[in-house]
Amino acid sequence: MIDLRVHELTTAYDRADVLHGVSLHARAGEITCILGSNGAGKSTLIRSVLGLTPPRHGSIRLGDEELTGRPTHRIVALGLACIPEGRKVFPRMSVRENLLAGAYRVRARDDIRDSLEQVFRTFPRLKERAEQLAGTMSGGEQAMLSIGRGLMSRPKMLVIDEPSLGLSPLFVKENFNVIRRVNDGGVSVLLVEQNVKQTLAISHRGYVLAQGRVVAQGDADVLRENPEVRRAYFG
Amino acid sequence: MDAGLLGQYIFNGLMLGIIYAMVAVGFTLFFGVLDVIKFSHGDVLTVGAFVGLATYHGLDALGVTSAPVLALSLTLAAMLAMGALGALMARWIVLPLRNAPAINVLLITLMAGTVLRELIRLFYPAGANPKPFPRLLPTDSLTMGSFTLRLDNVILLSVGAAAIVGVHLLITRSRLGLAIRAAAQDSETARIMGINFQMVVLVTFALGSALAALAGVTAGLYYSEINFGMGLLLGVIGFSAAVVGGLGNLYGAVLGGFLFAALQTLGAVWFSVPAYKDVFAFALVILIMAWRPTGLIAEKTAERV
Repeated sequence: MIDLRVHELTTAYDRADVLHGVSLHARAGEITCILGSNGAGKSTLIRSVLGLTPPRHGSIRLGDEELTGRPTHRIVALGLACIPEGRKVFPRMSVRENLLAGAYRVRARDDIRDSLEQVFRTFPRLKERAEQLAGTMSGGEQAMLSIGRGLMSRPKMLVIDEPSLGLSPLFVKENFNVIRRVNDGGVSVLLVEQNVKQTLAISHRGYVLAQGRVVAQGDADVLRENPEVRRAYFG
Repeated sequence: MDAGLLGQYIFNGLMLGIIYAMVAVGFTLFFGVLDVIKFSHGDVLTVGAFVGLATYHGLDALGVTSAPVLALSLTLAAMLAMGALGALMARWIVLPLRNAPAINVLLITLMAGTVLRELIRLFYPAGANPKPFPRLLPTDSLTMGSFTLRLDNVILLSVGAAAIVGVHLLITRSRLGLAIRAAAQDSETARIMGINFQMVVLVTFALGSALAALAGVTAGLYYSEINFGMGLLLGVIGFSAAVVGGLGNLYGAVLGGFLFAALQTLGAVWFSVPAYKDVFAFALVILIMAWRPTGLIAEKTAERV
């Protein structure tokens, strides 16, 4: 099991979405959530972790490895996978090819086959549609595919960006169950969400971002009672 | 017109078509993966043909006389050299301009093409003159009435077709092809999957440029002559073919290549003045573009390759 430490991270990005000295710790084997409204800096944080938007200052460590300054494909090779915001399935590839793209860094054919079978067991719908072009599937199916693709590399740390965005409540519930099961299997999870109630229900710990700063943090059940979180999200 | 003559026109058209298709596939690969038009593509073809010719003279001076060995060596040398040149150009000219307007890439590759062309003219021995290209393939022929099928042309056609099928299989069936398609459809998500985007771009440019070299050598062996400006027209034709077929689409590039060759052949049949065939073909390309602005095989919602 592996943890992710973000220390004093400052990232400038399009001027609008900026992080000012954000520090957080996603503990090994836990689900850590990042809550916050639009423009709070959640996406910038994810982009910094993935090396898509290099931070200006600060450090990001996955286990013992420093991530800042590495290109994205090397960060991913360390055992990190991301389920990006908005699914981002490859539209003109089949479901199977999308999943194989998720296992791009896996060299052993047996491992790829095992992962594929496991994803098909988790999402039987994907197996039925294995040869269908991903772009022609419904939003819910694309969400399944995006999650399945993120699991294909058998990551040690899974970063999930807004999995509930644009999905019906039923799908959201199913997907959150899958996330919890993945975590039960020993995968550390960093979960970025706006859906506070359900997110805190499956998370161990959480951080609240506002205007690029951490404004609240703690165990999930403590955060639920936090006056600032309550005021902002539970009304 | 008798059947033999018709067959001859069709076969000649296929020969032209395979050369154009090889050039067009390069344009479509570059556009697919990086959304750029690389206008030096035709001149890379020229340099490839000259590298082939130089290799021939070098081996000839060393005393190599076997025609198959010479043909194979000069083709491989041209393809390897242009593959390397394509990757270098991608690394040092195209990728640095990634965040610049696309017109800048077009302009800078246009200039790079001029540099390549003029370098040949100035520094290749007597480079300003047309160069005889050696006839290395067996010229046995089969004559049926007014139709003559030459073995060398059959070989050229088969090799070209095999190269295009090979690229197609590479793109659709291999791990590298998966990476190329992923990078073409969504470069950022491809990187998140662990795909080295820069490597994919370099490989794609190497692939397209090696194919251009093969087209150049094919043209040399077919016409038995090359010159420093041969890539200009072939580049424009290959680009038109790729656009008419639907830029970014592999099938479209092949279709466009053969379509252009067919139009040229028709033009050559209908007009007694040979020069009219290009006027005819390009004029019809303009009409087709007016009818289908996104090409014959249209992209569906910005999805490519």
